[in-house]
Amino acid sequence: MKNANIGQIRIIEAFLAVLIIFSAFTVSANLPASRATMKREHLVSTGLHALMKLDEDGSLSRCIINQNFTALRESLSLVLPASVCFNLTVYDEQMRQVNTDVISNGGFSSQDIAFAEYVCASRNTAFRCYVIHLFLAVTA
Amino acid sequence: MKQLQGRLKANCSGQLLIVAALAIALLISSTTAYVYELSEETRASGMEQMGDLVFALKQGTRNTMISSLANASNGGEKTLLATNLDKLSEVMRSIHSFGSCNLLFRTFNDSLYDQGIRLSWNTTNMGVSSASANFTLNVDNAAAEIVVNYDINVTTSLTVNGSYIDEGTEKLANLTCRVYNEDQSVLAENIGVFYGNSGNWVQVDPSSLSTVDFGNGTYSLSFAVPSDTVQASIHVIDSRGVLVQAIYDLS
Repeated sequence: MKNANIGQIRIIEAFLAVLIIFSAFTVSANLPASRATMKREHLVSTGLHALMKLDEDGSLSRCIINQNFTALRESLSLVLPASVCFNLTVYDEQMRQVNTDVISNGGFSSQDIAFAEYVCASRNTAFRCYVIHLFLAVTA
Repeated sequence: MKQLQGRLKANCSGQLLIVAALAIALLISSTTAYVYELSEETRASGMEQMGDLVFALKQGTRNTMISSLANASNGGEKTLLATNLDKLSEVMRSIHSFGSCNLLFRTFNDSLYDQGIRLSWNTTNMGVSSASANFTLNVDNAAAEIVVNYDINVTTSLTVNGSYIDEGTEKLANLTCRVYNEDQSVLAENIGVFYGNSGNWVQVDPSSLSTVDFGNGTYSLSFAVPSDTVQASIHVIDSRGVLVQAIYDLS
């Protein structure tokens, strides 16, 4: 009888040990994913703020209308943190790509890429509307 | 002795079970609390992101208002404001990265505003170019729905004060102009002075117009006009491209 009880207790102990290990695995699998989401959302926010900053005085739409994508790339490099790399694409109202040049400050080494979408309305008398797709990543 | 050892083992196993259960409970509760905290932060961050999007879209509506006012003040149709806002609304509906965005608007119509545009240029000593509209922005995604109601008023105003001396053959005017964007002093992009009577306006020769820029949106203008001149009209274009005019009586 006692031996049988000891056997049951050993099984329960083994079961608990498995449970503990499984819990540890579950927790360790979930936590980095949450942190990655946080980092991505922060990047999106940073990107939107950068575009808003450039759009405040109408310089964003001015660069697009004048096809001055070099100035746009340089402005964005200045506004965004140095550790952030970006790739920007401009589309018109019919979602046709406007920029012929690549507007980017380098390749993406990270797999964790954030995406921000921004509507840019021009300020000049001939009204234009653009959709900007901004991809962001933190350089390794 | 063996009996004692067996009893002890059995007792220890029971204690081990309780301790293990407690450890597991502690682990589960702390993990749940941590994960909950993280999810709360993520949710808060998601809301913050939607807030950023709302600010970004508001910036777009503001730019559209400025563009429409610049157009209307330079001779364009007042209906263009609604046309441009319709276009903006359509583009906003096409973006989906944060969920669906829907922009509704209502241009102001009253004794001053016609289809959201006000051009009060025939008043003495003051001119106003303004655009005004009310917006309802709805941003809806799986996490939350935000409905924001806001007004945007874009106004460029000009005040003119001064004096003139009638010298018989001509009048020498010294005027002080102040340019404002939404009650904030701003620099002018271009200033032109016209003179005339009975609605016939002639531009003062820029070479005979002396302008002093005080650098704070205040300008001093000195010019000479024929003695039969009744009024001077000051035309100012601000840095946003909005034209505003004001009349100054010279009689």
